[in-house]
Amino acid sequence: MAAIIKVENISKEFRIKEKEPGLKGSLKSLFTSKYKSIDAVDNISFNVNKGEVVGFIGPNGAGKSTTIKMMTGILFPSSGKINVINYDPQKERKKLAFKVGTVFGQKPQLWYHLPAIDTFNLFAKIYEIPEKQYQQRLKELIKTFEVEEVINQPVRKLSLGQRMRCEMIASLLHNPEVLFLDEPTIGMDIVAKKRIRELIKNLNENDGVTVILTSHDLEDVEQVCKRLIIINNGKIVYDGSTKGIREKYLNFKIIQVILNEKTESLNLGLKNVKAVFKGKFRHVIEIDTSKHPIQEVVKKIVSKYNVEDINILDPPIEEIISRIYQNKTDHKDQKWD
Amino acid sequence: MGLTKYWESCKISLYNSLVYKADFISNSLFIGLIIFIFVYLWKAVYGSGHGVIEGFTISMMVWYFVMTESIVTAPGRLIEEIGEDVQSGEIATKLNKPYNSVLFKYAYNMGQTLLRFILTFLVGGIIAFLFLGGVEINWLTLPLVGIVIILALTLHFCMMMLLGIFTFWFEDAKALNFLYNKIIFVFGGMLLPLEIFPQWLAKISAVMPFSFVAYHPARLFVIFNLNNFIRTIFLELIWIALFSGLIAIFYKSFIKKISINGG
Repeated sequence: MAAIIKVENISKEFRIKEKEPGLKGSLKSLFTSKYKSIDAVDNISFNVNKGEVVGFIGPNGAGKSTTIKMMTGILFPSSGKINVINYDPQKERKKLAFKVGTVFGQKPQLWYHLPAIDTFNLFAKIYEIPEKQYQQRLKELIKTFEVEEVINQPVRKLSLGQRMRCEMIASLLHNPEVLFLDEPTIGMDIVAKKRIRELIKNLNENDGVTVILTSHDLEDVEQVCKRLIIINNGKIVYDGSTKGIREKYLNFKIIQVILNEKTESLNLGLKNVKAVFKGKFRHVIEIDTSKHPIQEVVKKIVSKYNVEDINILDPPIEEIISRIYQNKTDHKDQKWD
Repeated sequence: MGLTKYWESCKISLYNSLVYKADFISNSLFIGLIIFIFVYLWKAVYGSGHGVIEGFTISMMVWYFVMTESIVTAPGRLIEEIGEDVQSGEIATKLNKPYNSVLFKYAYNMGQTLLRFILTFLVGGIIAFLFLGGVEINWLTLPLVGIVIILALTLHFCMMMLLGIFTFWFEDAKALNFLYNKIIFVFGGMLLPLEIFPQWLAKISAVMPFSFVAYHPARLFVIFNLNNFIRTIFLELIWIALFSGLIAIFYKSFIKKISINGG
């Protein structure tokens, strides 16, 4: 399959103005400016094939958004080469814009005080979509995204989930080949998140749209993407199948238990259970799900203790990254791909 | 090639303005109040006799001020808007569209600008008319003055856009906005016609771009003169071309250096 996106050795260096604290610092900065260079993205390379759904994850400030912005031509890389659908995004930003759609979860493009339909109509003109084609496409999208009732209300009155669905429609009107989604589920509740994930999946499966998705929510990426790229400190630490990550690093869960009575520690009599936090009432344990299924552990806890509340959580992304690093140093001879 | 997208930008700006109608109306009413105060100020200056100061009767003076106020305040907080877009990273959603972003912003801003211009001119005009009566204008020349005003608003936009881009380096949109407004206020002849200045200052101000935003269009409105009209249009076009060129140059380097915070 042909690569639709080629990214070769790109780096992006930001210069950040530094100021010493206090009034003295402020006065000083009037005359001399000190700059600090930060490598937001540090020599990254990868290819994306047509029809793939690739998830970019990493902690805040890892360089996910910066990479997306370079792929859409908004930011200029300090070095390296990018090719998206045979365009150089920086030199041919406008031409590329006709072929890609972008949604920034934190930077809405819908007019806040106007109904979403006004933005759609504007975008139809911006993307030069013939009227008939636009009306048909809009009808389809409104149906799939189930927003019939809300497109005539001012955007500010919509829920976050409804708003994001409208944002996605706005970026899909011109039938893009590649869709960039930067934190599309940020701030949403579980139900809304699930809807968005399903929609992204459908889009890829039914329309063959190539999707690049960033998130700091592991579950987002797990549900939607077959391939995962993990970025940390501007570098790729993992590029491979989502399944691989699940098998190698997502084989543990965090269980948080709140008990009704004071207890020194949870004693479950299981081997692969690690206590992460021991309080008087609150206990956090980490379990290896390949050794003990979740049900087994939960059943044990509930039968043994008087439980007020129980929470099962995925390990945070930072934890997985640190495990990947550990693994790298543990098996230095093993080649990573 | 669609120019319709720019027209559409102008339209959505109008829809959006209508959401803020209270803001628009109160803004125009406030300017109306200032004009009302000026009517009395000029009445005191002119005294009881119907004198002429530097070729301006009192009603010409007030109508001149109505016109400069209407033009100068019409674009709103453009410099600060651009500064906010740059600093909040909002500009990301504006750069990834298949259009010329400066032209798009021009069309967008023009929608609101024209609306605000008309509103302020109406309110100010009514006040001037009620207290001083009309001004003698040849109605046939109004379409010509209209062209000068559109060009003045365009030049106004160009200078503000350029300063908006500069906020990327200066990081202080408010200061730039303040400075620009004061320059227009004085050297642009917004407050007083340049004739009232010392001659050397009037001469310099008259050729600077700022006076083509306020002084020249307002003067043509109250004292139309075909030679002045041609000269004004010609110089307005030259300044617009020059500032467009500067915008193109700085915009290019600005786009390359931009770093988008957050998200």
